[in-house]
Amino acid sequence: MNLLDLVIAIPGIGFILTLLIPRKQDQAIRMATLGFSLLTFALSLGLATGYRFGQPGQQFVTDIIWIANPEIHWHVGIDGLSLWLIILSTFLTPIAILISWRYIKDRTKEFFAFLLLLEFGLVGVFSAWDLFLFYVFWEVVLVPMYFLIGIWGHDRRIYAAVKFFLYTMAGSVLMLVAIIFVYNRAGTFDYAAILNSLASGKVVLSHGEETLLFLAFFVAFAIKVPLFPLHTWLPDAHVEAPSAGSLMLASVMLKMGTYGLVRFCLPMFPTASRENAPWIVVLAIVGIVYGALVAMAQPNMKKLVAYSSVSHLGFVVLGIFSFTQMGLDGAVYQMLNHGISTGALFILVGFMYERRHSLEIADYGGVATAAPWLSTIFLITTLASIGLPMLNNFVGEFLVLQGTAQANFSWTVFAAIGVILSACYMLWMYQRVFFGELGDEVKHHMPDFSAREWACMIPLVVMMVWMGIYTQTFLPAVTEANLKILDQTKSTAPLRVSLPAGLSTGGGHIHVR
Amino acid sequence: MFAELAPASFAPSSADLQRFAPEIVLTIAGTLLMVLDPLFAKRYPKMFGHLSIVALLVAVGGTVCAYSVQGSAFSNLLVVDGFGTFFRFLVLAIGILTVLASYRYLDLEKAETGEYHALILFAIVGQCLMVAANDLIMIFIGLEISSIATYILAGYLRTDRRNNEAALKYFLLGSFATAFLLYGVALIYGVTATTKLDEIRTVLSTPGNVPAFGMVGVAAALMFVGLAFKVSGAPFQVWTPDVYQGAPAPVSAFLATGPKAAAFAIFLRIFLTAFQQIAAQWEPIVWISALMSMTIGNFAALTQDNLKRMLAYSSIAHAGYVLVALASRSEIGTAAAMFYLAAYALMNIGAFAVVIHLGGKGERHLKISDLAGLGRRQPVTAAMLTIFLLSLIGVPLTGGFFGKFYIFRAALESNLVWLTVLGLLNSAVAAYYYLRLLVVMYMYEPGEVANNIEPLTPGLRAALILPAIGTIFLGVLPGAVLNFAQRSTIFGAR
Amino acid sequence: MQQLWLIPALPFLGFLLNGIFGRKLPKSVVTLIAVASVLLSFGWVMKVFMTAGDLGATPVTEHYFTWIRSGQFQVGWDFTVDKLTMIMLMIVTGIGSLIHIYSIGYMAHEEGYYRFFAYLNLFMFFMLDLVLAANYLILFVGWEGVGLCSYLLIGFYFVKKSATTAGNKAFIVNRIGDFGFSLAMFLIVVNFGTLDFTQVFSAAPGKPTGTLTAIALLLLLGACGKSAQIPLYVWLPDAMEGPTPVSALIHAATMVTAGVYMCTRSAAIFTHAAVAMETVAIIGLATAVFAATIGLLQNDIKKVYAYSTVSQLGYMFLGVGVGAFSAGIWHLMTHAFFKALLFLGAGSVIHACHGEQDMRHMGGLWKYAKVTGVTLACASLAISGFPYTSGFFSKDAILGAAYAHAPWMYWVGVVTAGMTAFYVWRAFWMSFTGEYKGHGHPHESPWSMLGPLVVLAVLSLGGGFLFNVPKILDSMFPIAEGAENMNLTYISVAFGLIGIALSYYMYVVNTKVPERLAASLSGLYNLVYNKYFVDEIYDATVVNPVITGSTTVLWHGVDQGVIDGIVNGVGTESKSIGGVLKLLQSGNIRSYATWVVLGAVALLIVMGVTAMGWASGLGPAGVGR
Repeated sequence: MNLLDLVIAIPGIGFILTLLIPRKQDQAIRMATLGFSLLTFALSLGLATGYRFGQPGQQFVTDIIWIANPEIHWHVGIDGLSLWLIILSTFLTPIAILISWRYIKDRTKEFFAFLLLLEFGLVGVFSAWDLFLFYVFWEVVLVPMYFLIGIWGHDRRIYAAVKFFLYTMAGSVLMLVAIIFVYNRAGTFDYAAILNSLASGKVVLSHGEETLLFLAFFVAFAIKVPLFPLHTWLPDAHVEAPSAGSLMLASVMLKMGTYGLVRFCLPMFPTASRENAPWIVVLAIVGIVYGALVAMAQPNMKKLVAYSSVSHLGFVVLGIFSFTQMGLDGAVYQMLNHGISTGALFILVGFMYERRHSLEIADYGGVATAAPWLSTIFLITTLASIGLPMLNNFVGEFLVLQGTAQANFSWTVFAAIGVILSACYMLWMYQRVFFGELGDEVKHHMPDFSAREWACMIPLVVMMVWMGIYTQTFLPAVTEANLKILDQTKSTAPLRVSLPAGLSTGGGHIHVR
Repeated sequence: MFAELAPASFAPSSADLQRFAPEIVLTIAGTLLMVLDPLFAKRYPKMFGHLSIVALLVAVGGTVCAYSVQGSAFSNLLVVDGFGTFFRFLVLAIGILTVLASYRYLDLEKAETGEYHALILFAIVGQCLMVAANDLIMIFIGLEISSIATYILAGYLRTDRRNNEAALKYFLLGSFATAFLLYGVALIYGVTATTKLDEIRTVLSTPGNVPAFGMVGVAAALMFVGLAFKVSGAPFQVWTPDVYQGAPAPVSAFLATGPKAAAFAIFLRIFLTAFQQIAAQWEPIVWISALMSMTIGNFAALTQDNLKRMLAYSSIAHAGYVLVALASRSEIGTAAAMFYLAAYALMNIGAFAVVIHLGGKGERHLKISDLAGLGRRQPVTAAMLTIFLLSLIGVPLTGGFFGKFYIFRAALESNLVWLTVLGLLNSAVAAYYYLRLLVVMYMYEPGEVANNIEPLTPGLRAALILPAIGTIFLGVLPGAVLNFAQRSTIFGAR
Repeated sequence: MQQLWLIPALPFLGFLLNGIFGRKLPKSVVTLIAVASVLLSFGWVMKVFMTAGDLGATPVTEHYFTWIRSGQFQVGWDFTVDKLTMIMLMIVTGIGSLIHIYSIGYMAHEEGYYRFFAYLNLFMFFMLDLVLAANYLILFVGWEGVGLCSYLLIGFYFVKKSATTAGNKAFIVNRIGDFGFSLAMFLIVVNFGTLDFTQVFSAAPGKPTGTLTAIALLLLLGACGKSAQIPLYVWLPDAMEGPTPVSALIHAATMVTAGVYMCTRSAAIFTHAAVAMETVAIIGLATAVFAATIGLLQNDIKKVYAYSTVSQLGYMFLGVGVGAFSAGIWHLMTHAFFKALLFLGAGSVIHACHGEQDMRHMGGLWKYAKVTGVTLACASLAISGFPYTSGFFSKDAILGAAYAHAPWMYWVGVVTAGMTAFYVWRAFWMSFTGEYKGHGHPHESPWSMLGPLVVLAVLSLGGGFLFNVPKILDSMFPIAEGAENMNLTYISVAFGLIGIALSYYMYVVNTKVPERLAASLSGLYNLVYNKYFVDEIYDATVVNPVITGSTTVLWHGVDQGVIDGIVNGVGTESKSIGGVLKLLQSGNIRSYATWVVLGAVALLIVMGVTAMGWASGLGPAGVGR
């Protein structure tokens, strides 16, 4: 029972205890859930401080048998890859609870309990080292989100919720087949053991098998990411979900997909990953540009942000399949950045919805006059998400594109177009919503931030700046983990990604001062 | 083997009786109920329920002590092994849950309680007999005992048209299908000159009687028809929706679980012991039947809006999953099938219990839309149903998930890759119609059904909470049950 | 340690203070914070200048902390100072201070006074970061940052749609440039493994020309965005929506010259990429003449100066392109003096005419605003290259180098010079001579505004003598040997004087001429008057297609039509399958029985088939598992 187990368990326990609180006690329920989530966050910080660099393998490992037959372990542990994603989840959950404080009046108990269950699943997904356990957490996450969208969402919530559930389900059953297949071959669910026996050649997959298994995993993850053209559940889910739902969905759940790609697809199926990289990269780039262009066309703020996520996540996938250190680092860093900045955008849009009861851009205008601080914070977030230097996204995008450039420069050229477009759609939205004459509707329904709202936003803004200026807090752990994953992918088959002549000196030399 | 038959002793040994304990207990109890019925039926209608629960509990005890002296009984007609015992426990548990779920229903319908419970007990006697039988004739007798009782139960409310129709269909088609089974038995006897499963096995595995095998194949096919009918596997599932929909809700719950479990038990026993040698011949059939059952069941269920009918189709689909396990023809496959049947019984009875609760007098409210807003009005009921539905979908931490997982793992191990993929995609389809219930229950505003729904009666509450606990238990700690199942698979028995 | 970080940090502090507390603070305090922070950083620049010693030989570089490290790549927060930087620092902080002071008066009665100064300080921060950067990424930080501030300040009057639209335009067009810049950085890292100036430039000579050309051209694209060169100049004229001090500081003196600075900084790369150099020169020249022609016919005084800025920037690029980097920087500096003065003067004029910007509604201001008039005259002389004014020297240096590179460039340049002289003086005559045609009663501006004008007037006249940039930068960019050809100088001066004279004739002596010309050459006139319809063309060819395309084709078409069509299609299809399956349930027992029989038959057949296959060959042993 180490720190990590606690970080996973407390939200779960919190979930159950919250269900025991009598339904009338709204305030008690809110307080309790907030307390649990804050406690979890505090403990998760211990993971960061206790993290030891240069130590091979996972840390904070617990490995006990859960089910004897077939042997399924409660095997959890973290490395640099999981570390910050876990902290991201624990960091955002209290905020998700805070932003729902007033907004959720109906069935409070279930709502806040579900948020904790969600956190439980998310932290679990990022720390599971047993394929089966991973799948369990993966599915556990599905249920609360389904209800969050379906019960507390907007008008078309049911369509959105069911679409979300089935899309994901369709993907994950394929993954289940693949997991079982791997189990039957390797005789264990233990991920580390599987990797070893694959590397040592104890378990040999035929080329066809590897490709199929890779695809099975890939599809499941690609749906979650979501990678074009599997993304259409996302806009609906986002638009219909309550802010807290959108927040957790965009900021953390999408990362489950990209995390899976890095954690499982690359190391387990190196050859297949590299062979399929070209078309995946194409999809990623299409997604980047496509998402941006469609975002440009959106009359609805949430939809716009949702499509921008498609674009941003495209960068992540691109970075992953560039198979370069920088690309991978950037991808992981971008997962965190996107979690912060897009999460903040959804929160802010939520705040405005609570005031004006509309998500249509056309219903706004002149907000800057009515609520200067809200506008300022929104502007900072906007700038972050369009990758302005000194704010977080820039670092991620830079690394991703740099890494891609080392793999294949022409990819970078196309992907970088997305950076131009992001400025277009975000700034156009900002102009239409915040600038211009102040209409009466807005005037009377647009008070500036309340203390609670400040409490939600300040941490996020701080993170944007911090992650933008001083990346050394976060990157080293990530780099360390990625380095390992990268040479796991090198273990077989030569690099299929075509390197243009003259660019092969990529990476260059360490420059010392 | 024939040697031991020679000095036929007509006084069965005490061990034999002990191995026969559950059946004895239940038969006595059943008859007792029928005797008491005219005396107390009017005054203490509930008494019979209590009595039968007691009887079933005693039978459980009987099963335990039977298990303590494993071995064959009555000159090898019965055999008390782990496999049989597992299913004895299962059907007895099903019986208890059914009785619990029935109180309120019988009360509402002002139905005779004595006969009803007697019939339930007799049906279970038949099922206990089946699952422990080692002889085709014995199996047939057990099957018939169980069937005849359920035929009557299906039409229990004599005045109710739907009941009568259901009963008639069930009876006619049922006996029709049993005929096939009998033909099969006859052929087998013709070829192998025995009806004992283990002996059939030995005969078939002795080389030199090659010409007979074609005939055996035909026999196997005919028996497959009869058994597939009982477990409502495609293409012999046609009767299921009508009967489940027509029969009284608690009876449907019973039909969907008890007889099915027992039928699967003998299905596995016959095909994996007696017919193991000719597996290559029957595997394709099972393969096809499994796929058809899953597909037909799930897709047809998509468009149902009557709860009972939807559950009927879903039960067809689930039969398909178990057939997948059979098709994998392996130790873990059998274990998986056993585990799945247990999990399935729990979640299905639970779901039916909600239906009973919702339906109310005369089962008026069986539309899916009648669930609207139940999540608001009766959070507990809704939560329980949610657990059962998630388990039926196969979401982790429920019994249903592990059931599916074990089955498809076995299938993959036997290289039934396509069957696995198709099966799991099927379960994704299934998710859709189960989700509909959740949607209606939680995401719609309460309709008048939910608003005027009565509080849970003790019986129903028990019939909801016990299976729910069971489902979660199987979902979190499946080890115990699975191990028992695996230790006691008859695969390649004796 | 010179503590270079203080230079940008001070204005940033000002930004934070005013940005966060400004709304609460009294104007005086806001002013104090804003102006003091800039003056202090100017002071610190001076301190560094005094103490740093000979920067030519030993540039001072300071490393603060690592920004990004990934694998073998690493980039830090590094600042460096050499002579080039020093010049830029002085221009930025010096002019910056003046304009801050000027703004006190100019913005006195504006809404969001604190906001204005906060933005202005933020701009100073980024601009100084840009200049001090010791590697491309830090430079890019400032590069993007100044773009942001320009966006904020153009859209300062955010209630005006035209203003915010202009802001977006500026930002997005710059993004297109930055697209090039970032690609250039990626190529640099791929080939050099680092972004540090020292290492890149020392390694540059060894690299293949192709690579260097690619990098240089991409950098040029970035420069074109920031410094408003063809084809990305379109944002600058619209940028005049911002308050006039902004136009003076950002869109004339400092930010827009960042492109020139960046190219000069990257000289090591450019000089090894002849093609790129040629491109720079040609783009510069084209822009110079193109913008000048547009300038001839503008009636909005700020628009005239805006196009003049574009044109003058063209000159600087010409200088860089022909290899006269120091001349380019020299013109950058003098231009900073006189163009800042022109804008501030314009601001004073506009102030005098109660916000009127159309010169046709001005005139006769001479008797109301003499100081403004005199200073503007000085600036106009300087930009016209009047002998021994600052503009004269720098322009002469560029044209000389151009002639050495290719005579035709010189001639085009000279003609442009003539046009320049014409339109500046046209503006001067139109606003200061004749009768006042505006509304209200014009008045001179307060001294807080006039003071900076005077200082800048002095610099515009004497700047050439005071700072001989080519000499200062000699160590970095040796001046090309070759006899000074005085004739070239005479010619260019002559063209300048002709321009002035012509404008005097047309707008003072005989004011009917312009209309008559316009009438006789109406086609050409309209074309030029409407700025060659470039904006309209861009809208028609790029902007609108993208927007409509992504709405109708991508969103409605692909997303909702195709993809969701398929997804929902699967749903409905499976339901209809279910519908079909329901038909099996006739409810009729006989048909059920038939099903059972048929099923049984089917089974037997299957069995039979397998039995055959079984009987023929594989024995029972082969079957059992």
